[in-house]
Amino acid sequence: MDEQMKTQTPTATLDNQDEKLGEGVGFERIRRITGYLVGTMDKWNDAKRAEERDRVKHSLAQDA
Amino acid sequence: MIRSIIKRDGRHVLYDQSKIASAVLRAMESVREGNAEDAARVANAVEAKLEALFPSKSPDIETIQDTVERQLMDYGYNDTAKAYILYRANRTTTRDANTALMKTINEITQEDAIDSDLKRDNANIDGNTAMGSMLQIGSAGAKAYNEMYLLRPEHAKAFREGDIYIHDFDFYHMTTTCTQIDILSLFHGGFSTGHGYLREPQSIQSYAALAAIAIQSNQNDQHGGQSIPNFDYAMAEGVGKTYHKNFLRILTDVVEDRLDADDLGDTVRKVVMETERTQGELAKLENKPGFDGKLANALSAALDINGHELLHLLERVRSRAWKRTDHETFQAMEGFVHNLNTMHSRAGAQTPFSSINYGTDITPEGRMAMRNVLLALDAGLGHGETCIFPIHIFKVKEGVNYNPDDPNYDLFRLSCKVSAKRLFPNFVFLDSPYNLQYYVPGRPETEVATMGCRTRVIGNVYDPNRQISYSRGNLSFTSINLPRIALESHHDEAAFYKRLDEMLELVAQQLLDRFEIQAQKHVYNFPFLMGQGVWLDSDKLHVADQIREVLRHGTLSIGFIGLAETLTALYGHHHGESAEMEEKGIAIIQHMRDFCDRKSQAMKMNFTLLATPAEGLSGKFIKQDQKRYGKLPGITDREYYTNSFHIPVWFPISAYDKIRLEAPYHALCNAGHISYVELDGDTARNVEAFEQVVRWMHDCNIGYGSINHPVDRDPVCGYVGVIGDVCPRCGRREGHRVPQNRIDELKKLYPDVVAFRGIE
Repeated sequence: MDEQMKTQTPTATLDNQDEKLGEGVGFERIRRITGYLVGTMDKWNDAKRAEERDRVKHSLAQDA
Repeated sequence: MIRSIIKRDGRHVLYDQSKIASAVLRAMESVREGNAEDAARVANAVEAKLEALFPSKSPDIETIQDTVERQLMDYGYNDTAKAYILYRANRTTTRDANTALMKTINEITQEDAIDSDLKRDNANIDGNTAMGSMLQIGSAGAKAYNEMYLLRPEHAKAFREGDIYIHDFDFYHMTTTCTQIDILSLFHGGFSTGHGYLREPQSIQSYAALAAIAIQSNQNDQHGGQSIPNFDYAMAEGVGKTYHKNFLRILTDVVEDRLDADDLGDTVRKVVMETERTQGELAKLENKPGFDGKLANALSAALDINGHELLHLLERVRSRAWKRTDHETFQAMEGFVHNLNTMHSRAGAQTPFSSINYGTDITPEGRMAMRNVLLALDAGLGHGETCIFPIHIFKVKEGVNYNPDDPNYDLFRLSCKVSAKRLFPNFVFLDSPYNLQYYVPGRPETEVATMGCRTRVIGNVYDPNRQISYSRGNLSFTSINLPRIALESHHDEAAFYKRLDEMLELVAQQLLDRFEIQAQKHVYNFPFLMGQGVWLDSDKLHVADQIREVLRHGTLSIGFIGLAETLTALYGHHHGESAEMEEKGIAIIQHMRDFCDRKSQAMKMNFTLLATPAEGLSGKFIKQDQKRYGKLPGITDREYYTNSFHIPVWFPISAYDKIRLEAPYHALCNAGHISYVELDGDTARNVEAFEQVVRWMHDCNIGYGSINHPVDRDPVCGYVGVIGDVCPRCGRREGHRVPQNRIDELKKLYPDVVAFRGIE
């Protein structure tokens, strides 16, 4: 997946109306930045992008 | 004999000894060392030196200034020499800043945001748009001016070199950060936005619309996030008004239908009003037992229907009025959420940064409002997109919504369910001791609420009788580069604390300097915030008054970044790795909090300690520190410093341990704090598991927490959930195409599939 792929509006791809949709349209990946949500990662600054990339999941295993 | 000198731009100008003397005198006066005669003596000595150095040609300005420095030191004017050096350094910075400013504006003008980190400093501003660029250029100009003219040289140096970071520096001389807007007081009697006057709202639709307008208006008076602390209590009033209208209208319709009449409106209204008067309450979602009986009797006396039948009709009226009000409330909440995601502020450059707090109103009206705002959040925007704003904050309280037999427990459960899908609400925990100490049942203004990324204002040293959330906020905040102090201290704990104390003093002074600028503003500078009495006690001021005294209700906050890297630099590992470091970490933050408390008492102002949000800051300090110290493992080897007191995002740890280890810092960081845990998508969608994590936060005395999990969306088929390489609904890969007939099939199965304009 290319994080930097720009999310285009679907209407931008409709030149060939009859067959297929979605060419060049990325997935939106909503993440919390410092307390608020950001709709696409395109707008994140480089440091926060690196931080988001490094985030690990926390398990729900109960420790002793 | 010196006749001319060479300026920096290469021009020759006539030599004038008195200019040297007056520069020296200015430096002497700034440190109260020496007089005009002494200055003249130094100037003479400088001239003698220069004549020796330049027997036949003109000296350049840099050499002259070097000579002045040396002569000052030779004469023993050490403080003057220091002041002179600082003055020179700042002049140099000023010159560089002018060049840098033009370069910055060039980058804003020429580069696309995708290639310019500068243009993505704040993800909420679209640097590619006209108004976004205008805002960024204005911001760059204001920063350059503020650094040159408004900062003390030592503060400018600390800021420039990355010892401290002055947040929202572009707004330094203009305004303050944020406010909890008490919309109930604002609405009562109507208000003006600064552009027009609005009457008191009379329906839930108007309550919701004006709530959005209040946020938008205030966003133009302040630079930070705007928040409503009492969303539930305020919307409850709107729900009540809408219900009352529906009740009267439907009752009239039902009675008119029954009697085949069309002119009974006035009669019905009069009887209802009379019953309301005798019963001491308006018709509302749940009236006292017996209300409907009395009303049926009164109606029966006025109309040709018997009391028994009227009771039966009233049941139907109640049920219809409830349904209609519920429906209208949902629409109002949906409109509110859509509004806040689409409305613009600041000349169109930004969506207002908005928050709403709710959870504790147990009236049927408040509960209806909360259920519907949660359902609207759950439904998403027009194509099912997750709403970015407002931030929803659910206030968790034992006896109100935390335990299964609490009146709002169902709403707490619903909050967990919605948050598991949409990332909001976040959760504020009123039972944590440092929040509970302010809590007075029945006085919602004493409940802690948050705004922006995490800001919290409740304690009040300036006015201990007003320890409330409403109508107050942060004035400004500045963050300390903690890892730098640790690195400079070379594993010496005592040296670390000494440097930390110096830095805390420096920041406190800088915050007070900024306060002085803010305090000299007038009510008319803030037509909404102060002009409409949104800020505490501003309603007592005249439009031309200074805002100094009322501003003291706000907070001056000292923030920090990178506790984890600080501990690693000082002791070799961080607070996620050993019990010893748990203690060391708490000791550092406790030390900073103690400083804030002492400063608060000394100044009778609210100095508070902030776990800085650090969006733009996350990569700034570390870049400067990498230049100084290189890439040190576990300290400067990433692109960002770890946020505030957090356990590093890359460190493997269970959700429960992370919460337990971070909770003590919530008690210390009284200006604001938040803890997150990251769950994988499947776990987050298990609402039981989700609720268990929230309950663990409550039991560990976390102040403010939320759960992160991936929320992806395919804009082609509208699927919301976790998307790996392939969309689980339509089966396409990112950027790939999907056949139209597949979309048509999906559209039959899922109503949220996007309708493509131009095709249908």
